[in-house]
Amino acid sequence: MPIVLIRIDERLIHGQVVIGWANQLRPDRYVVVDDDLAKSRWEQDLYRLGAGGVEANFVPSAEAPSRLAEWRDAPERTILLTRDVGTMRRLAEGGGLAGEAVVVGGVHHGPGRREALTYVHLTEHEMQDLESIAAGGSDVYSRDLPDAPRVDLDVLKRRWKSSS
Amino acid sequence: MTERLSRTALTSAFLRSFLIQGSWNYRTMLGGGFAFAMLPALRRIFTDSAAMDASLQRHLEHFNAHPYLCNVALGAAVKLESEGADAETVRRFKLAVRGPLGSLGDGLVWATWLPGVSLLALTLYWIGLPGWVAVIAFLFVYNVGHVGLRLWAFRVGLADGREVGGRLARADLGGWTSKLQVVASLLLGALVGAMLVGADGLAAAGPVWVALAAIACLAGLFVGHRAWRPAAVTVVVAVAGLSALGLFL
Amino acid sequence: MEIVLVSLLGGLLALDATSVGQFMTSRPLVAGALTGWAVGEPAAGVAVGAILELYLLVSYPTGGSRFPEGSTATVVAVAAAGTGSPGALALAVAAGLVWGQLAGASITYLRRANARLVPDPGQGPTSTRRLAAGHLGAVLLDFVRGVVVTFAGVLVVRPLVGGLVASWPVPPGATFGLLLVGGSVSVGILLRDFGGFRRHRTAFVVGLALALLGARLL
Repeated sequence: MPIVLIRIDERLIHGQVVIGWANQLRPDRYVVVDDDLAKSRWEQDLYRLGAGGVEANFVPSAEAPSRLAEWRDAPERTILLTRDVGTMRRLAEGGGLAGEAVVVGGVHHGPGRREALTYVHLTEHEMQDLESIAAGGSDVYSRDLPDAPRVDLDVLKRRWKSSS
Repeated sequence: MTERLSRTALTSAFLRSFLIQGSWNYRTMLGGGFAFAMLPALRRIFTDSAAMDASLQRHLEHFNAHPYLCNVALGAAVKLESEGADAETVRRFKLAVRGPLGSLGDGLVWATWLPGVSLLALTLYWIGLPGWVAVIAFLFVYNVGHVGLRLWAFRVGLADGREVGGRLARADLGGWTSKLQVVASLLLGALVGAMLVGADGLAAAGPVWVALAAIACLAGLFVGHRAWRPAAVTVVVAVAGLSALGLFL
Repeated sequence: MEIVLVSLLGGLLALDATSVGQFMTSRPLVAGALTGWAVGEPAAGVAVGAILELYLLVSYPTGGSRFPEGSTATVVAVAAAGTGSPGALALAVAAGLVWGQLAGASITYLRRANARLVPDPGQGPTSTRRLAAGHLGAVLLDFVRGVVVTFAGVLVVRPLVGGLVASWPVPPGATFGLLLVGGSVSVGILLRDFGGFRRHRTAFVVGLALALLGARLL
C-alpha cells in the first residue's frame, strides 16, 4: 500500500494534511497532480515550504495516470493530492484508481458550488465527476481529519441536493 | 519597481501590519486586515480608480497566516501589485503562501519563542528576582524577536515577491525552531527548579505536593494538551469546595 | 473610579492578544504586573499574574474558546486579589480561570460580528473609506468587549473573593502547593511539544541545576 492517501483538497499541502494526516500516515513524499503547478517553479517552492521536510513532486495530469503503478510499487509511502475534482476524475479514467479510497477534503465555496459539508462545496459537474470516480471502482467519501467520521458519497450527495 | 513606492507608503504599510488581525472574522479571517494594510501602497500604485477597486477587492478575500510572518505575504503583495502582476498571479501567490506562513509561524513563535521567553521570566521571578525585572525582561526579549521578525519578513517579501519561497527555505525557520526548542527545554528545567525551591515553592509545601506536581507533569507529558482542562477544572473545583468548607467550619 | 480604570486597562490589554500589535502585554504576567500597579498592589499583581502565566503557558494567542482569555482573566483576578494573601491568591486564580473562559467565548461572538463589519469581497467592490471604517470599527468593538468583560468580571468576582477569603481554611504552604500542582501540567505539555524528555533531557537537567544553583545564590 505505498499510496497511503488519495485526497482532493484545494489547499494541497497545508496544516490539515501535514499535521492531521501525515502525523498518522508518515508519508515519504507528496505527489501533487496539477497542470498549473507542474510548470510553476515559484509556486512549487512555496508549497514545499509547508511539507515539513517531506519530498514533494508536482506532476502534470497527462503524465500522472502512467505513473500510478510506479508510485504503488515504490517503497516510499506516498500521499497523492489534487486541487480539484476534475483532475482526480482524469486520474481515475480507465480504472486507474480502482480499489483505492478517494477522500474528498477541502473544496470551498465558489461560483456555482453548493454546500455538501462545511468543508466541501461542489458544482453539478463536480458531483457527476465524483460519481464517475466511484463507478470506476473507487471508494469515494469525505473526511477532513483522520479521526473524523467518514461521510459516504450518497450522504454527501443527499446533503448537497438539499442545500440551496 | 518598488522604488516607485515612497518610503512613507512602505512604512505606513508596515505599521498597519500591526493591526492585520484587527477584524479577524470567520468569513475572510485576515482578509479585511490585509486589505487595510495594503491601502497606502495601493493608493500610490493605482492612479485609475477602477483598477484600484479591483485590487482592493482581491486583497479582501480570505487569507490567514501567522500575524508576524504574514508580513512576507504583505511585502510580496506590495511588490507584485507595484510591478503590475496580473490578478491571477497575486491570487495564486497568496493561496500558496498562507499555509507555510501559518505553520512556520505557529511553530516558531507561538509554540516556541513565546513559551520560551515566558519560561525565562517565570524562572527569574520564582528564584527571587523582583517582579518588575521579570516583566521587563519578558517584554524586552520577546519583542526584540517579535519586531525583528516582522521587519525581516516584510523586507524579504518586498525584495523577492512571488519568488520568496527559495529565500524562506534557505532561512530554515524550522531549523531555528528546533534550536530554540533546546534552549526552551533548558528553561523548562530551570522553571521546575524555581518552582521547587523558590519562596512559596513546592519544597516548602511538602513532599506530598512535590509528588502530586510530578504526577501532573507526567500527565501533561504523556497526554498532551488534552490534560490541561481536567487539571484546571480540578483546581477550580478544589478551590470552590475548600472555600465552601471554610464557610461552615 | 478604580473599577473604570481597571476595565479600560482590561480593554487595552485584550486588544493586544489578537487585534493590535501582539506585543504580548496581554500575557498574564505582564497584565498582572500592570493591573497590580494600577490598583496599588504591585506584588499581588505579579504573584497572580505569574501563576496564571504558568497555567496559560500552553495557550497560544490563536483565539477561540479552548483556553481562557489570559488578559481580561488576569485583570479581573488581580483586581479581586486585594493584598494577595495566599487564600486570596487561590480564589483569584480560580475565579480568573473561570471568568477567562467566558471572556474566551465572547471572542467567538466578536469574530461573527466582525464578518458583518468588514466588507464582503463577494458583494462587489468596496470603498477605501468603508474598509477603513469597518476594520477600525472591529478593533473598537474588541476594545469595548474587553472593557465590558473586565467590568462585569470585577463586579462579580471581587465581592465573591472578598467574602470568602477570611474563611479560607488551607494553610499557606498547601495553598501554593495546590496552585503549582495544577500548573505543573503545563510543564509536561510543553516538554512534549518541544520534542519530549528523551530528546531534551540534557538541556532540561542543566536548566534544573542552574536554577537550583541560582536560587541558592540569590
